[in-house]
Amino acid sequence: MTDQNRNVLVIGGGMSGLTAAVEAAEAGYDVFIVEKNSYLGGRVAQLNKYFPKLCPPNCGLEINFKRIKNNAQVTFYTLSEAEKISGQEGNFDVTIKINPRYINNKCTGCNKCAEVCPVERPDEFNFGMDNTKAAYIPHNQAFPFKYVIDDKYCKGPSCAKCVEACKYDAIHLDMKPETINIKVGSVILAAGWNLYDATKVDNLGFGKVQNVITNMMMERLASPNGPTNGKILRPSDGKEVKSIAFVQCAGSRDENHLPYCSYICCMASLKQATYIREQYPDSKVQIFYIDIRTPGRYEQFYWKVRDDENVVLTKGKVARITEDPETKDVIVEAEDIYGGSKLKARFDMVVLAAGMVPSTKGAKIPADISYTAEGFVVPSSLKKGIYAIGTLKSPVDVARSVQDATGAAIKSIQSMVRR
Amino acid sequence: MAEQNVVTPDLNFIKEIINAGGESLKKCFQCATCSVVCNVTPDSKPFPRKEMIHAQWGLKDRLVNNPDIWLCHQCSDCTAYCPRGAKPGEVLGAVRKLSLQHYSVPVFLAKAVGSSKALLLLLAIPTVIFLLITASIGTLSSIPRGEDGAIVYSKFIPVPYIDAIFITVATLAALSFVLGILKYWKGMSSGMSKVQGSLVNSILSTIIEILLHKRFKKCDLTKGRQTSHLLVFYGFVGLAITTTLAIWYLYGLKWESPYPLTDPLKIIGNLSALGLIIGITLVILNRFKNKEKAGLGSYFDWLFITVIYIIAATGILAEMTRLANIPLLAYPIYFVHLVFVFFLFAYAPFSKMAHMVYRTTAMVYAKQVGREIETDVKTV
Repeated sequence: MTDQNRNVLVIGGGMSGLTAAVEAAEAGYDVFIVEKNSYLGGRVAQLNKYFPKLCPPNCGLEINFKRIKNNAQVTFYTLSEAEKISGQEGNFDVTIKINPRYINNKCTGCNKCAEVCPVERPDEFNFGMDNTKAAYIPHNQAFPFKYVIDDKYCKGPSCAKCVEACKYDAIHLDMKPETINIKVGSVILAAGWNLYDATKVDNLGFGKVQNVITNMMMERLASPNGPTNGKILRPSDGKEVKSIAFVQCAGSRDENHLPYCSYICCMASLKQATYIREQYPDSKVQIFYIDIRTPGRYEQFYWKVRDDENVVLTKGKVARITEDPETKDVIVEAEDIYGGSKLKARFDMVVLAAGMVPSTKGAKIPADISYTAEGFVVPSSLKKGIYAIGTLKSPVDVARSVQDATGAAIKSIQSMVRR
Repeated sequence: MAEQNVVTPDLNFIKEIINAGGESLKKCFQCATCSVVCNVTPDSKPFPRKEMIHAQWGLKDRLVNNPDIWLCHQCSDCTAYCPRGAKPGEVLGAVRKLSLQHYSVPVFLAKAVGSSKALLLLLAIPTVIFLLITASIGTLSSIPRGEDGAIVYSKFIPVPYIDAIFITVATLAALSFVLGILKYWKGMSSGMSKVQGSLVNSILSTIIEILLHKRFKKCDLTKGRQTSHLLVFYGFVGLAITTTLAIWYLYGLKWESPYPLTDPLKIIGNLSALGLIIGITLVILNRFKNKEKAGLGSYFDWLFITVIYIIAATGILAEMTRLANIPLLAYPIYFVHLVFVFFLFAYAPFSKMAHMVYRTTAMVYAKQVGREIETDVKTV
């Protein structure tokens, strides 16, 4: 067996991919991470707090980043995607396309380029709730802490104000995409998930009613490094959010949208209820649900939130949301099933508990893999030496993704050494 | 309202709903999307979420005695938005069929009209009656002509026969309706709160609502039904006026048909027939257009639609072939027309035609018990 066949490829540098990578690397194997974003950390980097412990995700991420930094056996490519995976267990050929960052390793993160950059772009890390310059740092905890230039907005060499401003010769607007080929013995698929497009649930007003946001937007609003520096303010007028409704199953458990339970949304909304309740002690929270699903020991978290007298849980799915044109308040309609009547209630802001869509619903892995109708990888269809983890197989939370990743690390090692 | 503590599921009733077109009912998981997207439900104890669980549990009394099943106009917004494909609109349609079967007398006829197995027998009754008449008076073998050899349908089957048959049929149907409605009113009163408003006012405002087709305007998915149903409805109203005029012409003015096309009676009659055929065609087109989201409908729906379609089509064709003087086509078409008009009238209390009586009654009742009060927006 050659050394080359003892490498592991990890597609996706989110929590699952990072975990699998460091576990395999610390067991002595060379690991390549391919990440499509300009930073590692994926969805977890966007979260304000984890449930149920309510600690900030950045501490968990930072530990992993530190493990990567200290381990020469991990190589990662940001702004990259695997274009082709061929071969078999122990001997895969992989083609990776690396898109230009336009900023090299000399970047110190001094922000001079952003200061002089004349164009703005919507900040997709904050779901478009604010803008960055076309030369920007993805977020203030980004790893690698290197600026990046968005070529969809950058005016190119004709502007080049940033090139002049950079004292370190870090900016090269003529960078081109590169393609590299590597050989690996096993592949771990950790491409993660996207939030369901809530505009498709046309009766819930997202995109039309200003103060209706998604659960992931709520994470950014509550995050200290978010668009409002952690103050939960509503989009229309920046008013403090004193009354809020959570709409569960906004697309999930619905044949017209996602015909499965997204697993994390009930816990996410209960967790976000605590953000509001902590920030504004006189605030009121109402959670509308079909069933509150808090699997396993998460039940205790549910009890804790339920016992807050300013949190009301109402059985009945919200099926209509409208805007008060004067105040921009949100009017929510549901049937209060236990109360036996339709309910029309006014809130400062509404959070849609939108569901998880595997990233492979859209972008398929460039290998021979079967998917469910919903886009999840069918694990039994994977050939030997390829392992899918985390949300690529089913909606799961961070804790289970990490467990899955650790398991996949040993599986991938076994597949290379057992012969 | 006093809540019953013991529920007695009628398992057979569940099967009946499923067989009547509500096969999706077990898929419901009680999320209440349906009650919220429904634009015609009252805010208090809204439908159709509660009807779905009553149907799943076989709580027959709570369904057949319920005015709400008729307040539903099957807009199918609930079905379109249902996350489970449980089709509340179709389930309530099935429950309505069973409710009117439950109340209409005689029961055996209700069962027959509701079952495709009895269709040929039901059609055979008027066919045999009209065959016997024409055979016995000799017009089946040789039909006497009018002046200049024109086709005159009253020479094929003379008016006294037609009147005798249809007056009998209409009287029996009306009697059955009255008995059914009385039972239904009693049933509703047993299950619901006390009647409070003025009956006359409730009836008047219900009639105005029906004449304007206000409820259909509230539908989202099946908006087109307002036009189609309105055309069918006023088609029938026009034909009723035509019939009244015809009686007056014949017995008041002693003037026998056929009448010239320029006569008010013919103008009203022809316009109504046109409205009816356009309306019922739109009904069919709308059903196909919305079949993905709303469902195609049951045997019970399609029997009614087909009967109306045949009546309208044969009515128009009978007139056209008569004017074109094509006896080989005209008489058979007229015969089919009579058979289906008989079918519509005789079986009205048991077919979907009965919706006009039961729905009207339920709407009056709902107004009487204050079922239509809206809730205010509450600020949290």
